Amino acid sequence: MRRRRWLWNVVAGAVMVVVAFPVYWMVVTSFRPNAEIRSAPRFLPVGTLDNYRSVFERDHFWSSFANSLQVTLLTVLFALITAFLAAVAVARFRFRGRVAFLVVVLLVQMVPAEALMISVVKVLEGWDLRNSIAGLTITYVAFVLPFTVWTLRGFVTGVPRELEEAAMVDGSSRLRAFFTITLPLVAPGLVATGIFAFIQAWNEFTFALVVMDRPDKETLPVWLQAFNFGARGTDWGGVMAGSTLITVPVIVFFLFVHRRVAQGLTAGAVKG
Amino acid sequence: MKTRKLAAVGLAGVLVLAAACGSDDDDGGTSGAAGGASLEAPPADTEATLRVWLNGPDTPDEMIDLAKETFAEKYPDVSVEVERQEWDGLVNRLTNVLPTDDSPDIVEMGNTQAQAFEAAGALVDLSSVKDDLGGDDLVDSLVEAGTYGDEFYGVPYYGGARIVVYRKDLFEKSGLSVPTTMEEFVAAGKKLKADNADVPNFSGIYFPGRNWQATLSFIWDAGGDIAVNEGGEWVGELSSDNSIKGLSTVQDIMRNANAAPADSDDAEDYLAFCNGEVGMLMGPGWKMGQITGDDGCPGKYDAVLGAFPLPGSEGGVAPSFLGGSNLGISAKSENPGLALQFLEVLTAQQYQTEFAKIGLIPVRKSLLGQVQGDEAAQAQAKAAEVTRFVPSSENWAEVESGTVLHDMGAAIAGGADVTDEATRANDAVVEILNG
Amino acid sequence: MTAVLPGEGTAPPAALPGGGRPGRSPRRARDRDLRRSRLLPYALLVPALAALAAGLGYPLVRLVVMSTQEFGLRQQFGAPAPYVGADNFAAIFGDPYFWDVLRRSLVFCAVNVVLTMVLGTLLALLLQRLGTAMRTALSVALLLAWATPALTATIVWQWIFDARYGVVNWLLSRLGGDYEGHSWLRQPLSFFFVGTLVVVWMGVPFVAFTLYAGMTQIPAEVMEAAAIDGAGPWARFRDVTWPALEPIFVVLAALSTLWDLRVFTQIYVLQQAGGITRDTNTLGVYAYRTSAGDDFGLGAAIALVMVGITLLATLFHLRQMFRSEEV
Repeated sequence: MRRRRWLWNVVAGAVMVVVAFPVYWMVVTSFRPNAEIRSAPRFLPVGTLDNYRSVFERDHFWSSFANSLQVTLLTVLFALITAFLAAVAVARFRFRGRVAFLVVVLLVQMVPAEALMISVVKVLEGWDLRNSIAGLTITYVAFVLPFTVWTLRGFVTGVPRELEEAAMVDGSSRLRAFFTITLPLVAPGLVATGIFAFIQAWNEFTFALVVMDRPDKETLPVWLQAFNFGARGTDWGGVMAGSTLITVPVIVFFLFVHRRVAQGLTAGAVKG
Repeated sequence: MKTRKLAAVGLAGVLVLAAACGSDDDDGGTSGAAGGASLEAPPADTEATLRVWLNGPDTPDEMIDLAKETFAEKYPDVSVEVERQEWDGLVNRLTNVLPTDDSPDIVEMGNTQAQAFEAAGALVDLSSVKDDLGGDDLVDSLVEAGTYGDEFYGVPYYGGARIVVYRKDLFEKSGLSVPTTMEEFVAAGKKLKADNADVPNFSGIYFPGRNWQATLSFIWDAGGDIAVNEGGEWVGELSSDNSIKGLSTVQDIMRNANAAPADSDDAEDYLAFCNGEVGMLMGPGWKMGQITGDDGCPGKYDAVLGAFPLPGSEGGVAPSFLGGSNLGISAKSENPGLALQFLEVLTAQQYQTEFAKIGLIPVRKSLLGQVQGDEAAQAQAKAAEVTRFVPSSENWAEVESGTVLHDMGAAIAGGADVTDEATRANDAVVEILNG
Repeated sequence: MTAVLPGEGTAPPAALPGGGRPGRSPRRARDRDLRRSRLLPYALLVPALAALAAGLGYPLVRLVVMSTQEFGLRQQFGAPAPYVGADNFAAIFGDPYFWDVLRRSLVFCAVNVVLTMVLGTLLALLLQRLGTAMRTALSVALLLAWATPALTATIVWQWIFDARYGVVNWLLSRLGGDYEGHSWLRQPLSFFFVGTLVVVWMGVPFVAFTLYAGMTQIPAEVMEAAAIDGAGPWARFRDVTWPALEPIFVVLAALSTLWDLRVFTQIYVLQQAGGITRDTNTLGVYAYRTSAGDDFGLGAAIALVMVGITLLATLFHLRQMFRSEEV
């Protein structure tokens, strides 16, 4: 068994190298002086910090960061809550309109988002929600919801129904059982879909571009665009340094929820 | 609503608005639409905020400060907020934000993008005040980009003609002098490539397949064109004998004097130049500044950089594509009168002279002859005398987004048959323009 | 939707709103509980439906309407939009180039979905077999691939394959190949090879994560019991892991199909870097290039056509899903 583990570790190491190489390449590039980026390859992340300096010095970095963080966290929160409730409904109940709901949600997911752009902006404009965190959050929640509903449904299905019923025999109401029994058990699913929602909202560009057009309302991906000078080329060093920084919060978020969930699972196991 | 406002704007020009005095106190309500459409100069004590969108790094901060200061002398209580926009994604933003009540007052558009917004009614008709903005002194091909039908919407902001940037040291080494005809230019490129064969990826003339703006110069020089408007119908010219002659020269350069990848564009030519892989390249007037600036390689080639306008086959200067941008007032602007006052600052002699200093072409013909400065500025001023523009059509943007000319150039650079490619591109262009 | 689940038809009619007097008898109390639990699923759906309706309700309706209109930039700025019936659809289906693009997209999508799902499943199984430290490390590596903004990731990949300065050509040349200045994007086939690398690279982590999360749901005792019963790794996967994962797997496959069919950023960025655009357009890029940001009527029609195609392409998954649902 132990020897087997050693083999898997080697395989995992190899996979890691392959998977992480382009990211590593991005980081290496972010340390290269701008004029030198488009020349023969270099393999070590040494050189200049100028690119990072130009990221931090460019106007509106921190406000964009704050906007992105707010929109993303709100999106994750709302998407997970609403999706969990809906997932329980479709996984645990047989009711009229259940299939219709699932199919409609899937159809919504199938529509190319770009085609909806002008209408989404028009709606938000009507509600006076352009250039507001709330407006962008509403849009993002709607876009990640179909996926989160469908995936969480799979996870809820995986929780044995008997566990809920046992809790109900103990006097819990059905709704209560969902929260006390089912919710902790689908925690891995919540993490997976939560990360999905986080990354979608965090990296989204197209809608952020047109919903948030005031300089102090922009989100990070749109802000990053300022390093692209159109015909005058692109400050690649800035783009790579900015992109590197942008990925950090995702990793932090992951490690955070990952530990929490590991703890939560252990706690649940002890309790059970 | 929109039509009503536009009608009001049109009327404003005719009626000269004796009654409009004092109706401009920026009430901000929707009822202000009709009053807001006045192009009359508001009183000097007006309090308001003007939102101005300027794109990319072309307008330096110092020029923005200059414009604000000049404007503040006249309107001390108006706050001008200049918001920088990026060229990438600009059309999307304009499309979505201009129709809203939260629209910026003044927007800058690329001269090939402007037509679509003019046609759509997104901008205020400025025909009646054209003279205040420069009138006949404005550079013609930029005025063309700013005109839809007979109406004038887009005020020329700056232009950029294409020049040739070259390495004097390499010219000297190969015993070359500045070419005066197209033929000499091509020959010089081939010689440079042969003489520097030891440098990997070396281009005598750096000419990637997708540099369609440069390609146009050769088509026009040979007497060809993209398409011509005959009584409202676009007739293709790309596959005419003259155009094919020009495109054959292009192919000759791309295949025999050039090492740029056939399917790439010119966005990174300055980096190749900095790598020492380029003898000559064709680019906008600010290209030299880009090479010597922080984005390029300051100090490396500063002493040996030169520039000249692309020579024509009969001598003289070959026609060059005039890039540039236009400014418009959003039809949704609450303060079009005030916005017009700011536009006047941006097109005034004092401000426009600044553009000449940073490698761009001022939009006033009277300033073209006075362009001082380095070789690039001089070369550009000469090139600017014979500039041309793409077909003036609201559908032109689709030719660009459909990459018709990019594909043609890439295929030609790859060695495809010129006549076949020209015919295919011609059909596509005609279909889009007449679509 | 009129699809009715087996057994659904026999469900008692929905409770009358506010019907019935509150009573104290046990029977009435049970009735009330029943009614409440019958209403419960609907109540649980309300937040999700509200969020969808708020964010996308009107845009979706308008999309359908616009697909039958001439709706360009003029209309966006307030001009009336004339109805043109099925003209937009006729324009799409009548364009022979559309069918080229469709064929290309379907093949590209099929290859990518299969690769993504297979590699994702293998990686999930690998994650399951690792110790905590190594698993976290591999997870972070996967997450990095997933979290990098698509635009940046594609640019980096393109650099790796860059004709002049790319590390791939650099390496191959040093290994004795003649790859100096070789353009990987020039030939459609090798263009899509690079495209597939980028799309699969970005898609696999998500599949691996979600499937692995699904595996952690399977109680360890069940696995152990199977092992004690003498089931080999393959038998355990087939009899224990797979049945538990299937609902999630099918959703992931359906979603990957949908995303890969309309992939935009990766292809668009690669097209800007090289290749002949008309030979490499896929549905998502084609939609953008033909409607070019100003023919929204045509854009809406293309979007609906894409929904239809996606529906057909995922029909297999869907049938499987609803079938497994009811056993």
